[in-house]
Amino acid sequence: MQFTDREFWAVIHGLVLGTLFLLAFGGGLAGLWSLKEKYLTAEGLAERSPRLWVGTSVMAVVAWLTVITGTFIVYPWYRAAPPEGTDLTNQAGLLDFPRYWLLASDNTAEWHTFAMEWKEHVAWLAPFLATAVAFAVLYYGTQLVRRGDVRRGVLVFFTLAFVAAGIAGLMGAFITKAAPVA
Amino acid sequence: MQDVQTKPNGPVAASFVAAGIASATVGIFVVLNEISTEVNGFLKFDASFGIGKGVGPLSGKVTLGVIAFVISWVVLHFALRGKEVNFNRWLGIALVFVFVGFALTFPPVFEFIVGIFVPEA
Repeated sequence: MQFTDREFWAVIHGLVLGTLFLLAFGGGLAGLWSLKEKYLTAEGLAERSPRLWVGTSVMAVVAWLTVITGTFIVYPWYRAAPPEGTDLTNQAGLLDFPRYWLLASDNTAEWHTFAMEWKEHVAWLAPFLATAVAFAVLYYGTQLVRRGDVRRGVLVFFTLAFVAAGIAGLMGAFITKAAPVA
Repeated sequence: MQDVQTKPNGPVAASFVAAGIASATVGIFVVLNEISTEVNGFLKFDASFGIGKGVGPLSGKVTLGVIAFVISWVVLHFALRGKEVNFNRWLGIALVFVFVGFALTFPPVFEFIVGIFVPEA
């Protein structure tokens, strides 16, 4: 039982980091949603704050690691070009070149022209948004409970970060099913 | 909502708008990459600057997005530090930028725009 290099990085990028991102989002969202003075005592707030700090920070770090590994390690394998002279309409000869394999048939081309084109770009919005969220939580700390305006903005950005990453993750899973890089 | 017992919200507003500017930057370069062969060549930072081998124009789009994020955050942070701003207004500005980013990275939208500038595309 072993992984190739490509399988290893595909698992790190899509499964390990993706799972961590989901966990961090779930914890962070629950913490932010219920971060209201009427729900919390001073002790409750002090107990909850580190968890919120960790959840949002982990989400931001994981978002960066996911897009960096995806773009600079996995993506080059996906878009690798076949040798010159290869018949680009024959999928059988393109198994090691996922992008070209998908484009070789009308039945699979949209996995590249729509799904991959969307995924590779929208994914990068997630770390920008998640970093702003983590900064807001770190900056305010326990004071965030008294800043309803900021907390609402944080919730919106946090959700948009998840949407961007969710689109990328979902498209990535579909593309990998159709044409794995491994 | 201003609360004198808490820190001023300017730095957080700065980070939100910076994230929006970065998102819009990625989206704008997605479109420009499709419209212009010169921009397409320029964005190949993997070949020009060694940023990621075999990544192609995506290396330039995301690098410029990150640069836009850092620069705009630093500039806005120093402009807004210590200030209490109308957070909802700044959030609205940030969301407009984020919306531009989402829209321009969605293939049907950027292909429509490309079709306007490059009808034969």
